[in-house]
Amino acid sequence: MSSFRVSGRGRVDHTQPIQFTFDGKKIKGFKGDTVASALLANGIHLMGRSFKYHRPRGAVTAGSEEPNALVGTRRGPGRFEPNTRATVQEIWDGLQVNSQNRYPSLSFDIGAINDKAYMLFSAGFYYKTFMWPKSFWDKVYEPFIRAAAGLGVSPTEPDPDHYASRYLHTDVLIIGAGPAGLAAALSAARAGSRVTLVDENAEAGGSLLSEPSAQIEDMSAWDWVGKTVAELKELGVKLMTRTTAIGYYHQNMVGLCEKLTDHLASPDGETPRERMWRVRAKQVVLAQGALEKPLVFDGNDRPGVMLAGSAQTYLNRYGVRVGDKAVILTSHDSAWYAAFDLADAGTTIAAIVDTRAEPNADLVAEATKRGIRIMAGHTVTGTEGRLRVKSVRVNPVTGSSVGAPEVIGCDCLLMSGGWTPSLHLFSHTKGTLAWDEERQTFLPDHKAEECEIAGAGRGLWGIEAVLNDGAAMGAAAVKSLGKDIAPASYAVANDRPGTGVSHKELPTDLDAGKARAFVDYQNDVTAKDLRLAVREGMRSIEHVKRYTTNGMATDQGKMSNINGLNIASDALGVPQPKVGLTTFRPPYTPTTFGAFCGYHKGSHFEVTRKTPIDSWAEENGAVYEPVSLWRRAWYFPKDGEDMHAAVDRECRATRASVGIFDASTLGKIEVVGPDAVEFMNRMYTNPWTKLAPGRARYGLLLGDDGFIRDDGVIGRLADDRFHVTTTTGGAARVLNMMEDYFQTEWPDLDVWLTSTTEQWATIALNGPNARKVLEPFVEGQDMSDEAFPHMSVAECRVGGFPARLFRISFTGEVGFEVNVPAHAGRALWEMLWEEGQKYDICTYGTETMHVLRAEKGYIIVGQDTDGTVTPLDAGLSWAIGKKKPDFVGKRGLARPDLVAEGRKQLIGLLTEDGKTKLEEGAQIVLDPNQPKPMKMVGHVTSSYHSDAAGRPIAMALLEDGFNRMGETIYIPMADRVIKAEVTGTVFYDPEGARLKL
Amino acid sequence: MTVLTHAFTPGPIVASGPVKLTLMAPVARFSLRLRAANIPAVSMAIGVELPITVGERASNGTTEAICLGPDEWMVIAKSDNTDTLVSACADIYASATHSLTEVSAREITVRIEGDRAAELLTIGCPRDIDSIPVGGGCRTVVDGVTVVLWRDEEQSFRMDIWRSFALHVIDLLCRGCKELAAE
Repeated sequence: MSSFRVSGRGRVDHTQPIQFTFDGKKIKGFKGDTVASALLANGIHLMGRSFKYHRPRGAVTAGSEEPNALVGTRRGPGRFEPNTRATVQEIWDGLQVNSQNRYPSLSFDIGAINDKAYMLFSAGFYYKTFMWPKSFWDKVYEPFIRAAAGLGVSPTEPDPDHYASRYLHTDVLIIGAGPAGLAAALSAARAGSRVTLVDENAEAGGSLLSEPSAQIEDMSAWDWVGKTVAELKELGVKLMTRTTAIGYYHQNMVGLCEKLTDHLASPDGETPRERMWRVRAKQVVLAQGALEKPLVFDGNDRPGVMLAGSAQTYLNRYGVRVGDKAVILTSHDSAWYAAFDLADAGTTIAAIVDTRAEPNADLVAEATKRGIRIMAGHTVTGTEGRLRVKSVRVNPVTGSSVGAPEVIGCDCLLMSGGWTPSLHLFSHTKGTLAWDEERQTFLPDHKAEECEIAGAGRGLWGIEAVLNDGAAMGAAAVKSLGKDIAPASYAVANDRPGTGVSHKELPTDLDAGKARAFVDYQNDVTAKDLRLAVREGMRSIEHVKRYTTNGMATDQGKMSNINGLNIASDALGVPQPKVGLTTFRPPYTPTTFGAFCGYHKGSHFEVTRKTPIDSWAEENGAVYEPVSLWRRAWYFPKDGEDMHAAVDRECRATRASVGIFDASTLGKIEVVGPDAVEFMNRMYTNPWTKLAPGRARYGLLLGDDGFIRDDGVIGRLADDRFHVTTTTGGAARVLNMMEDYFQTEWPDLDVWLTSTTEQWATIALNGPNARKVLEPFVEGQDMSDEAFPHMSVAECRVGGFPARLFRISFTGEVGFEVNVPAHAGRALWEMLWEEGQKYDICTYGTETMHVLRAEKGYIIVGQDTDGTVTPLDAGLSWAIGKKKPDFVGKRGLARPDLVAEGRKQLIGLLTEDGKTKLEEGAQIVLDPNQPKPMKMVGHVTSSYHSDAAGRPIAMALLEDGFNRMGETIYIPMADRVIKAEVTGTVFYDPEGARLKL
Repeated sequence: MTVLTHAFTPGPIVASGPVKLTLMAPVARFSLRLRAANIPAVSMAIGVELPITVGERASNGTTEAICLGPDEWMVIAKSDNTDTLVSACADIYASATHSLTEVSAREITVRIEGDRAAELLTIGCPRDIDSIPVGGGCRTVVDGVTVVLWRDEEQSFRMDIWRSFALHVIDLLCRGCKELAAE
């Protein structure tokens, strides 16, 4: 064991050694260690290189706010994670850890040349240096900058882990299981509430884990934590560790990310790696504590320079002394206790440097008792040591004058600039903050959500104060739920209360302009950068932040924001609250994409809706296309056929004999009630009053604006019952629109709407032999032309199933659509398929459906229309009931721009050579020789090769198209200009003769 | 675990572990819509006192109704009772107008039961499951899909899911069963 591990000390299990690798080197630690604590136990401080200057860096904290010690972790193929905080990642046997942003090695890094040239890389450097030439930005500068600066490398292999999510409802959610959170949980749970207590650490206890000498209710702090956790569990509290509250959203919705397997040597494979919890809490108690601030001075980033509180945590929680000889540099009492703990554990404290002239007399006495040298009223003006701090330059400060330096040897420098309340989640709620002049920090002020803030998170200090506040806030939270409980009162012995002062960068006797005094470690922002930003005109803290990137790293400025603010405020000469604070945003700490995706990946990425006949299509070699959430059979290639050949064959076979098509995805809405016909008259453009039961009609639906929204065939089943069909993608939208009008405009109508899309499987039969295939299965309906003409609907039985049978056509051939209950869809399909063999029946997909309808000039809403097309533009003015007093869109249609001449109108196009198929979306011009940019007068909406027409056909929206019949227009493409003639949109059987039986 | 297809053959889907999933046999289902004034007449016709609070249910043994909205009920009947129901409603239509629309084939139903059935639902349902009383139900969302949830016992639920969405939702429930079993 290394000399830095203190035998028997800490909460790690000294009987369970664990071995992992760091840059390939075997490292030993104990169960309960983090990567950082295990490395420190082995005397290793150098853990990474900085973002911009590639400066050697070590862990500066012991928690999730760590800006420096970012590493890559690997657990076999695909399980690689960059930028893992070494201070958080627990070790397990076989864990592979690698340092980042260095080449060829961590101790010798070529990129460190940036550090020598640091004067060039000041704030705004990129903006100034890489401005010209502009075209170089994308291809040269940005890739170069990204390669030179940076964090870990993105993983390239698919992530084999799975991720989970849950919803949770709770009365009181307590965030942070330190003393305040534990006490709050006790209050709330004893009052009988549903309580959830979460903490990002591996175990509950928070700061108490680092303060074992405190005595709470005559128990050691650790015993008290153990007893409290046991009681909370007994009371049914849901205690979640390794769980980070990442965001606090509206109406007390809090996102939690729970890490389940990252700490395990061999996860079982079924347990998800992480689980996202979406919590809806009636009350939230924020007990997140406070984060220690670094001090800002030249060389404050050398490995070995660390926060004093973190050194105390490494000692008490992990049993690790961070060095043999420490200098303490502090402006707060708390660091003195760290010094005492370390001294008592065998570390030499070379000096306690306190920036205050007169530190607390009790602390001075304690230090003196231990023989520690005290340097009150001093500053640190520099450090030395390449890969690890080896000495500190200390100067006395008298007033504004900095005296002569003394160099003190050490192997670690432990600093404390005081503590910043953790306000991140509170800030997510848009709660307002108030500047506390005495504490020189922001505290929560006006609350925007149902929450309480307890303990150090609202500026309190000392275990007793924090415990009692937690108890009170827990009671306050349940009080608003109607539960009264007297908060417990806690007495703490050996408490360590304290105070401190706040600083901008520490004074120096050297050239401040050359000081490498870091404010934001992760983004390599120095005090000098912040002052430069102010000199160059930045006034708002938001501008200073963006110009310097202070606080913009993955730690979101957890350590740098207040120091940055102090310096900016000093440079601007205005007080801190006038400069303001930047906004914290979720997530609180970096969160994996996996946790956000949850179950939605691979086959579960998104709903794939399938029809009852889909399985038959799959068995018969269908190629699919997605249509909204549905997957639909696109075409059915036979051996060796490409799409073009398959579609040609399907079209030919359907027009020659009979084709069968799965139309089940069509939206269906049942409109029922005495006022059903009035409702239909008002919704659709067409007149419905005279449509007799048993008859069907094409219906056109507009928006208020007069533009086409949807269409479909609508059958009247009875006086007061309509079977409405919509487009596949429009089903939900149309029902919503109808409900909207019904509920808000016409609540007096006696009518109701029910979605029946999925009640029915719909099979379309088209072609001259369609009736012959269908007729043998139909019971209860005369199928003759007289009894059942085109545009009819009947309720009957088909194939033994109750059916709604339509005689309609979307192909121009004799056509039927049979609706049977969904579960019967495939059975009927197979019957018809079998019978159809006599007539060489052909199954076709959506592509053939599109071609066949285009040959007839039938539009597809959303393809031939784009939300700006009126019925007149689409040549559908015949579908408007001109005598109707009103319908949705009627007034829109009368707008001057909608009745103007020369609007874009839907016309047909035939390419001049009779061979070229136009590209859908291609733009149209009248004169291909005009100078660029040319005036575009329309675009191609539909284009297919037509077997029936024997040539390619197309539809297009063209300015003043109806008046350009016979004219030639031009479609410029990348390699040539195509000539085409403007025609009508019906390319086949214009008389409609083929619709007759 | 049984691999479920769009044929939706009734039977066990997840037969062991802390939660069991079973695809239930088809039943007759109707979406019933009417105005408050006609509730007594329609209740008499279908033989079930229609509940007027959203989420409440009523049953007469063969016919069961759940109130899903201020003017909306889902009515479930044994299949051989369908014609009676339809004609009873038709008989009173003139005096008590309403909409009775058959949706038997629109959705399938999964039984979710076992010690941790309520917990399983929390993987996809944003609603507070604890707030659904035994003998109650609601229309809610699971994994972004609209479903109707019936709580029959403390740890026994029925979930009605539209056919084309059902495999997606059931897939999630199956994953959840595995997850709970691994805990």
